[in-house]
Amino acid sequence: MANVTLKNVYKRFGDVVAVRDQSLEIRDKEFLVLVGPSGCGKSTTLRMIAGLEEISEGIIEIGDEVVNDVAPKDRDIAMVFQNYALYPHMDVYDNMAFGLKLRKFPKKEIERRVQEAADILGIEQLLKRKPKELSGGQRQRVALGRAIVREPKVFLMDEPLSNLDAKLRVQMRTELSKLHDRLKTTMIYVTHDQTEAMTMGDRIVVLKDGLIQQVDDPLTLYNEPNNIFVAGFIGSPAMNFMDAVIKKEGDTYYIDGDGTFKIRVPEDKENLIKDYVDKDVVFGVRPEDIIDTSITHDFDVSEDNSFKAAVDVVEPMGSEIYLYLAEQGHSLIARVEAESTAEVGDKMNLAVDLRKIHVFDAETEDVIF
Amino acid sequence: MQITLKDIARMAGVAESTVSRALNDKKGVGEETKLKILKIAKEHNYRPNQLARGLAAKKTNMIAVFLSEMDSPSNIEIVKHLEAAAESEDYQIILCNTNNQEEKEKRYLSLLESNQVDGAIFIGGKLVGSHLLRASFSSDNSIVLVNRLAEENFFTSVLTDYSSGIYQAVKHLIKQGYQKIALVSGPKDNLVEEEKTTGYMEALEESELKLNHDLIYSTESSREAGYNAFLKIIESEVIPDAFISTKELTTIGLVEAIKMGGYFIPDDFAVVGYGDNILTSIIEPPLTVLSEPLAELAKKSFYFLLKLINDGLDSQKIEVLNPSLIIRDSSIKKYN
Repeated sequence: MANVTLKNVYKRFGDVVAVRDQSLEIRDKEFLVLVGPSGCGKSTTLRMIAGLEEISEGIIEIGDEVVNDVAPKDRDIAMVFQNYALYPHMDVYDNMAFGLKLRKFPKKEIERRVQEAADILGIEQLLKRKPKELSGGQRQRVALGRAIVREPKVFLMDEPLSNLDAKLRVQMRTELSKLHDRLKTTMIYVTHDQTEAMTMGDRIVVLKDGLIQQVDDPLTLYNEPNNIFVAGFIGSPAMNFMDAVIKKEGDTYYIDGDGTFKIRVPEDKENLIKDYVDKDVVFGVRPEDIIDTSITHDFDVSEDNSFKAAVDVVEPMGSEIYLYLAEQGHSLIARVEAESTAEVGDKMNLAVDLRKIHVFDAETEDVIF
Repeated sequence: MQITLKDIARMAGVAESTVSRALNDKKGVGEETKLKILKIAKEHNYRPNQLARGLAAKKTNMIAVFLSEMDSPSNIEIVKHLEAAAESEDYQIILCNTNNQEEKEKRYLSLLESNQVDGAIFIGGKLVGSHLLRASFSSDNSIVLVNRLAEENFFTSVLTDYSSGIYQAVKHLIKQGYQKIALVSGPKDNLVEEEKTTGYMEALEESELKLNHDLIYSTESSREAGYNAFLKIIESEVIPDAFISTKELTTIGLVEAIKMGGYFIPDDFAVVGYGDNILTSIIEPPLTVLSEPLAELAKKSFYFLLKLINDGLDSQKIEVLNPSLIIRDSSIKKYN
């Protein structure tokens, strides 16, 4: 069993608090991604689990053992960082084996482990090659192999793909996910890239300023963000945010954008919003949930779910079009179908899918719905 | 007693700040005054307090040299060359002997982490451990490894390709016409010794000669072990016609045993020894040896460190150097 547990963990560097009150349960065999902008404490968290940073307060457990005072080498973990060295004079076999050799593992055992790792990574045929005869992806696999041969309980990875070019990065993402399926080991993965997090993680931890913002599976994170930060961080292009006020007319509640838009609060959400009448809120809608009303056929466009905006920029992406819109100081992005005929300067009628809109408390930035 | 900036100012009859500007070659000092100040400083053998200067410039002009083993002659040789290289750049070295102990390494690492030195060079030692790994995460810590390996993170390194030396030796002996080449290597569970054996096997594989495992002999690194290795090998089924020894002391013992047995070098047995130094140089006949690139290791590593300290290296550097084969009489076949 290799679940990893953090209980009220803090890390302070002098007066700076890098990690605050983190409690987290990482399940056995889970692929957990820590994501957030630089300085959010994700690498520090990983290094504390690794034992490379002492924790200032709290408890970390690996398996059922408290590891606060256990040396890194005795924690049964293997680390993979973005920078790694393949030694140019050693062949692939030795580049994977030298650590075990220096730790004086028996020769037979080393052979077994390297063969097994090579098999898992699909690099058996490369064992006799030198690094300069390998492609970038193959090299990355050798670096992973070096961690795999240690047969750890937990893999810790800190931006292992960030030195690769974009194409290779996408390819290695899939490979790492497959690798996780095959190894069936707990993996904790740090990245600043939300796409990487969304595509790889069983669950994702979003961090900001050393604080956990939300822990959820990718879809929940995307559909039900806890606050403005998570909503804006997950998804690309990012969610549109517009200042608004909640208005009540008769029995109906509206999200009022001061003349720019007036969207009706769905009935099932009314009880969540009733305390916010005449209060400032932030209206959030993802670019993909804005609809070009001129090309939609099965969407019921009404005054309650639509608004007008001028097109500033049209960015055709092939399969879809990004429209940069502006209206009375609000600016937003819409991701519409490729058939859209929108042109710069057009005043368009746009609709939003009411099931997918979000409203946040303007003061606390927490989600209302 | 060391002369200070204050003393010079008094003697020259100027302000301390003027002395400082003159010594640091900065503007705002008349040529005449400057010459006068420099003259006094020279006469009194003025040396700036490196620590104080370091505090001002955030530089100490000192580097830490971590030594994993004090008794290794090669390591000491590298340190000597390092010191010379450092001195030529106005740097001083602080020697930190870790005896391969992580705790000692951790304590000495505080020199680097508290900026008491500008950088650190690590010579030899076990796989990079957690303290050094942690230190490497900060780009402020300039670190170069010499003959030391790291698993997780990248370190600027200068390494010796031990296999290539033995490879060259085997190729040379084959070219001379020797066919049964024995390898007397160090302890088996040592990575460096294993690399040397790899070089031996690779060279044989490339030639027509068959690999005979009986000709690979692994032993301690001592004079006695070298002596006994010869006695053991000539009792085996295949008698070699040449020996390669991978350790300095073993080489001495091996040569002694050959001579004691009444054999001649290279007539009965050719010998390629290890280490071009005082020990191997007094052997008769002059010994063909493999020489590790110690001076080059020192120079390269210091150069990399200096770059890291000053403006950083523009790319990741791992330089691998090859030992050189110095051919003398002990491996030259006189008659064919």
